[in-house]
Formats: sequence, C-alpha cells, structure tokens
Amino acid sequence: MDATEAAAVLARARQGDSEAFRALVERHSRSVFRLAFRMTGNEQDAEDVVQESFLRAYKQLGRFESRANFGTWLYRIVANCSVDMMRMKQARHDQSRGDSLDAAVQMPAAGTPGPERLAESAQIQRRVQEALGGLSPLERAAFTLRHYEGRSIDEISRTLGLGTSAAKHSVFRAVKKLRISLAPLRSSPGSARLSAERSAGSQP
Amino acid sequence: MNRHFTEEELTLYYYGEARRREDIDAHLGTCTACATTYKEIAATLAMIATPDAPARGEQYGLEVWQRIRHKLPEQNAPWWTPWIRSDRLAWAAVAATIVVAAFVAGRVWERQPASPAVPTAAEATRSAPSAEVTRRILLTSVADHLDRSERLLIDIMNTPDRSDIATEQAWADDLLTTSRLYRQDAIDAGEQSVATVLDDLERSLIEIVHSPSRISAADLEQIRRRIDAAALLFKVRVLGDELRQRDAAPTRQIS
Repeated sequence: MDATEAAAVLARARQGDSEAFRALVERHSRSVFRLAFRMTGNEQDAEDVVQESFLRAYKQLGRFESRANFGTWLYRIVANCSVDMMRMKQARHDQSRGDSLDAAVQMPAAGTPGPERLAESAQIQRRVQEALGGLSPLERAAFTLRHYEGRSIDEISRTLGLGTSAAKHSVFRAVKKLRISLAPLRSSPGSARLSAERSAGSQP
Repeated sequence: MNRHFTEEELTLYYYGEARRREDIDAHLGTCTACATTYKEIAATLAMIATPDAPARGEQYGLEVWQRIRHKLPEQNAPWWTPWIRSDRLAWAAVAATIVVAAFVAGRVWERQPASPAVPTAAEATRSAPSAEVTRRILLTSVADHLDRSERLLIDIMNTPDRSDIATEQAWADDLLTTSRLYRQDAIDAGEQSVATVLDDLERSLIEIVHSPSRISAADLEQIRRRIDAAALLFKVRVLGDELRQRDAAPTRQIS
C-alpha cells in the first residue's frame, strides 16, 4: 500500500467504511502486538491491548487529523491502552506486589540465588522481568518507550500525554528501581558478559 | 567542570539525550564517584534486552479483524462529516448560493446606514464561525485534559500506602499549569460549569503537588477522601464525556 492509497483508505475509514478500517487493522496488527507485548510483558495481555486499541481507534477516527501519521496516532493509542491494562491488573491484584521503591529494593533479596546460578542468561532475563514487574504502569510504559523503542523524552511525553518533566521523572524512577533491584546480578559472571557484549554496541 | 552529575543526568547521558555531553565525558574521566555510578547504570541497562515478541503470522491482521469486527462501536465522527455526503453537499451549495444572492441583492437594493449599536446579520454571520471553532477547540482540549487528569486521579486512588508519589506529583504539576489556563479560557468563553469542575480539580492537584513525596498513609487517605467528597472522579469523567459528545455533535449553539 503506497502513501496515496493509504491516505485514501484512511479517508474512507474516517467516513465509517468498515472495510477500509479492516485494511488498516490488517496492515498494523503485527506492529501493534509487538508494542503491546513489550509494554505489558505478557502475551495474553498484549492480545487484549491489540483488540482494545483498534476498537478505541475506530471510535476515535473522527478525531484523527488527516495530516497526521496514522501509525503514530495508533502508536499512542496502543501505549495508553497498555498503561490502562497494567493499571487495571494492578488494581485487581490489590497492589499486593507493591509499587514503592522499597518493594523494588526488597524484591531480589528474597531467596537470592548464588552468582553461579545467575550465570545463565535465561535466568538473568527472568530476574529482569521480575524487576520490570515491580515498576508502576506509568514507569514501565515510559521505560519501554525509552529503552526498547528508543523514543526521546519529548516523544514519550507526547505519546503518554504527560508533561516533559513527568515523562522524564517516570524514566528516572524506573531506571533507579531497576538499578537497585538488579544490583545483585551486576556482579554475576553471566550479566557481566551480557553487559560487556551489549555495551560494546551503540551506547556511549 | 567540578560539580558531580546526578543519576538523572547520567541516565540521559546513557540514552544520548544529555546536554553538555562533552562536559560529562570529561568529568567521567576524572571523577571516580560519577564514573562508578555511570557504570552501574550502564551495566543495569545493558542487562535489559529487548524482549522478542511471540511470532505472529501473515494472517494475524485478519484474525484480529475477525475478533473485533462485531464489536466495532459507533464512531465519533467529526461534526462536518455528515455534510460531505453528496446530497447534503448539494443542499449546502444551494443554501450558500441563496445567502450570497441575498447579500448581493441587499447591497444593491438599498444602502442605508446601519445603526452602530446593532450588529448587522452579515456581521453576526461572519463572526459566528470563528467563535464556534474556538469554542470547539477549547472543548476538545479540555476533554483531553480531563482524560489525563482522570488517569492521574485513578493512580492516586490506587497508589499503595506509604508510596513515593514523586512521579504523580510531577504529572500533577504539569496538569495544574494547564488547568489554570483552560479554566480562564472557559470563563472567557462563558463555560461556567467547565470552569467550576476545573476549579475543583485544581484544588486536588494543588494538594497532591504540595504533599511530601514519601506520603504517609494518613495524608494519602486525606487526599483520597477529598477527591471522594467532591465526587471529583465522577465529575471529571462525566464532563469529559459530555464535552466529547458536544464536539462530535453537528454544529449548534452551545449554551
């Protein structure tokens, strides 16, 4: 689908043509799922986010400005749906996991395995997932956009509808919590190797 | 450069967003404390690899469509959408022709000095669309603002006791600044009910902003009680919905 065709499809979808909207769904579903999965870290939640995002997008198509990029607009909807999904889950679990810095600090301490067992990359990633699970929905969303998606603070701010300082603060809080949570792993041989391999690449 | 850099600055530096990168480069070469902090941040973030999303096949888009097609809600179409249907467009063209003809006829028929105190119909017609457009922009912006505020209030209502609410405070601070501007605009536009809800909202935002970031359970409970007492979440949600409906409705006089 070239740009002209895409614009025509979008225009038809905005006028309520469901077949045109179907073309948009087919075109964007996989990228929407990918983002939703990175945001939520859970396949089933990501599927729910995909559905909810397209339903919201369809309902709000009238508010979409035709000069804007549909992909960017949809991206924002997906990010915000993901945040809502994480909030809902968090509320449902009655905050039992906790959201505070203290909780993040305490989490890895419980039953911390020795450095030998942490040498395996899979185990490290499991611990990383646990640490990510200790972030608040907003922190996780902001961190995902910054770390996985490579979005700037300004872009995160626009995507999540936050002020720049709130977006920046969410990323900082996430990094701080992760740094504390993952401290025991930093000295393990597996993580040192992993860090060295990844640091050799793009980061300063 | 003698001053140490904060964790925030070093995090931005890691992500390539820091200002004065050269200063940080030079400082990290000479300051062991900052270099250690930076190494910790970099080592932590290097451990966090982008997760591979489970694969989805070529037919995935179609599968998603099949799942949602029966759930598609009614669209909030823009107010002008009904007019681009060809039959209505034709009627609109006829109406426009009549208006133009009447205007020209009026000019040619008789030139009488209009009373300065009473605006002419043509003047009223000219000024009405811009006021309407301005009002619509305001309503849409306030509706978005209320959406964001609702999310913050839900966060506050669900925050565990004795949490650090610094993130929410920064967010509330941003919303507070915007809210004040919208409230003034709403007053200017004669939208008193909007201004009243924004005023209520600001009171809670101010309370959130001025609370200690490591908030005690009692302080948090007090904020929540005030939000409940003012039925703030309900008002914010209802007003947001109402403004969106007004925005989606065909052009009409808004009281």
